[in-house]
Amino acid sequence: MRSRTIFAFLATTAIVVGCSSGGGGGTSAAPSSEAPASQPAASESAAASESASAATSAACNPPKQDGVTLSFTSFGGVYQEAQRKAWLEPYTALTGVKFTEDENSSNATIKSQVESGQVTWDVVDVGNDFGLDVHKDLLEPLDYTLIPKDEMNADLGITDYRVPDITYGVVLAYNTDKTAGKVPAGWADYFDTTKIPGKRGAWDYSEGGMFEFALMADGVAPKDLYPLDLARATKKLNTIKDDIVFWQSGAESQELIGSGEVAMTMIWNGRGWSAKNIDKKPVEIQWNQQIVTADYLVVPKGSPNKDAAMKFIAYASCAANNAGPSQYIPYGPTNTKSTANPAMVADLSVTNADQNSAYFNDAYLGEHFDEIDAAWQAWKGS
Amino acid sequence: MTTADEARSRTWPSLVGGRPRVNRWSVLALPAVVFLVAVFLIPLLAMTLRSVNDPPGAGLSNYQQFFTQGAYVRVLTNTFWIALLATVSCLVIGYPFAYLMTIVSGRVAGLLLIAVLLPFWSSLLVRTFAWQVLLRDTGVINRILLDLGVISEPLTLIRTTLGVILGMSHILLPFMVLPIYAVMRRIDPEFSRAAANLGASPATAFLRIFVPLSLPGVLAGCLLVFVLALGFYITPALLGGLKDQMISQLIVQQIQQRLDWGFGTAMGVLLVAITLAFLFAASRAVRLQDVFGSGIGED
Repeated sequence: MRSRTIFAFLATTAIVVGCSSGGGGGTSAAPSSEAPASQPAASESAAASESASAATSAACNPPKQDGVTLSFTSFGGVYQEAQRKAWLEPYTALTGVKFTEDENSSNATIKSQVESGQVTWDVVDVGNDFGLDVHKDLLEPLDYTLIPKDEMNADLGITDYRVPDITYGVVLAYNTDKTAGKVPAGWADYFDTTKIPGKRGAWDYSEGGMFEFALMADGVAPKDLYPLDLARATKKLNTIKDDIVFWQSGAESQELIGSGEVAMTMIWNGRGWSAKNIDKKPVEIQWNQQIVTADYLVVPKGSPNKDAAMKFIAYASCAANNAGPSQYIPYGPTNTKSTANPAMVADLSVTNADQNSAYFNDAYLGEHFDEIDAAWQAWKGS
Repeated sequence: MTTADEARSRTWPSLVGGRPRVNRWSVLALPAVVFLVAVFLIPLLAMTLRSVNDPPGAGLSNYQQFFTQGAYVRVLTNTFWIALLATVSCLVIGYPFAYLMTIVSGRVAGLLLIAVLLPFWSSLLVRTFAWQVLLRDTGVINRILLDLGVISEPLTLIRTTLGVILGMSHILLPFMVLPIYAVMRRIDPEFSRAAANLGASPATAFLRIFVPLSLPGVLAGCLLVFVLALGFYITPALLGGLKDQMISQLIVQQIQQRLDWGFGTAMGVLLVAITLAFLFAASRAVRLQDVFGSGIGED
């Protein structure tokens, strides 16, 4: 009987992890020439002194490293397969570095590896809730003499411990059969069930974006979202409370919008893309007022192959390689100089980013989680 | 047979209320004890320590943090409410089912047993998703009813407490049926016949003889289902509405994403402590070794 409890727990955990980022088959954005110029943040890292160009060339041309084996952990599925084809396999061909892979990236696993001193993961792909300054005891500072930090999209919350590797968007998707020809222009229409009737899908996670979307629907400009006005957001959420259908996983969101059970949903753009292009459902994405976010590469503190890990992260970040996954999935590059797959450009979050797009303030969200989550639970239970 | 069983249960040493004499065969329990201590007791202690010492010197601050969040406390009470509903639902379905198993022929009883166990062997997630397919607005049940013209608007089946109880009962039913059946099939039919001889109607014989004799199985089943139900949250999350929240979800969130293991373990300890309190209360009402011994060990 105990084992069933544990199983329920594990299953649960798997879903939570699946939701937290890559599980979504979400999409990422391509760097756009219209994107705001990256302001190289004043570097706190002792290392970032070399010129960007030197970093770039070293990053794209890693030395031979025969005999090195790196572990790479991500979220599995088509997502990790795209990373494998775009980065791991070419890197092995170029340098001789071999990879062992895990498909169950988890912040908690990193923490337990570091705490127990049994660090077996070298490079880990994590969601936007991790790799912040508060996690400094768990992660190695990245080597920004190798990794081309100056070229990375500065809106994506780069820290000393994490560098974004792919971008995706949290967007509004709608089922054209259910909206009867009407096109929701943004989140105000999501919150207006008189104008366009039907259920609304939402991720059941306090920091998944619903508070932000409620505020944008209420007229808050993307740049003014933080600090979150939770009272105002909750009031807005209350206006459609009876029409909200929660989803727990990317797969579920794809199914809800594809089947038309909801007329609109918040969704990771990769899942919206799959509903339309893989499932062939009448689903469209409204890019207006999207939240652009990313997955990140980190190196657990005490990684036995720390130096080799830095070289690999630099390779995956460099302009020539960073957009590689967009050959296979609608996840875009984080390096502003990297060119995404032309066939996928229209479906990437970054390509569709404009002045109406928002970005998660991950540091703020990390610091205020308890308050934000309590407001979310209170709203659900009220 | 009944008397033999009773004699046996009286001579066997037991942890609670049994005779102090130590049976030398008890050494066979050593691996199980070592196993429980290593993988259950020690981690539980470590967890408890962590809940009062993370961040260092935390004391009871993690617990304070929990109880100052009204919304979290509500989720905790809701967890017990849902577990209670699931237990009642399993009992209502499981008791007649177990009774049916005892009165039909051996072959039919075997089929009924398989019917209970079959879904038990498939994954919890698969079964929960199957319920989604059945219950949702565009799902099987609503489709059929709409096509038949019975209803004109889809019934709200999913994302309700009803949906949660359906899904959880399906998963937990074997834990109710098996202990009850194990007890029921050892109830000597002669008792009911004797009651009839003494003038009792079948209903009276059933209510005053059979039901009381089956109570240890009922209690075992209820306790098992209730305790297991407390740890659920996937099923409520997938089949329930906004209010059908369970504490495990908050725990996973803290452990897995927030990495606030002090707060996460504090919630875990609370859940374990309250569960133990329930078991303790139950032990006042009935001897637990009777419940678990007769309920599970025999079949």
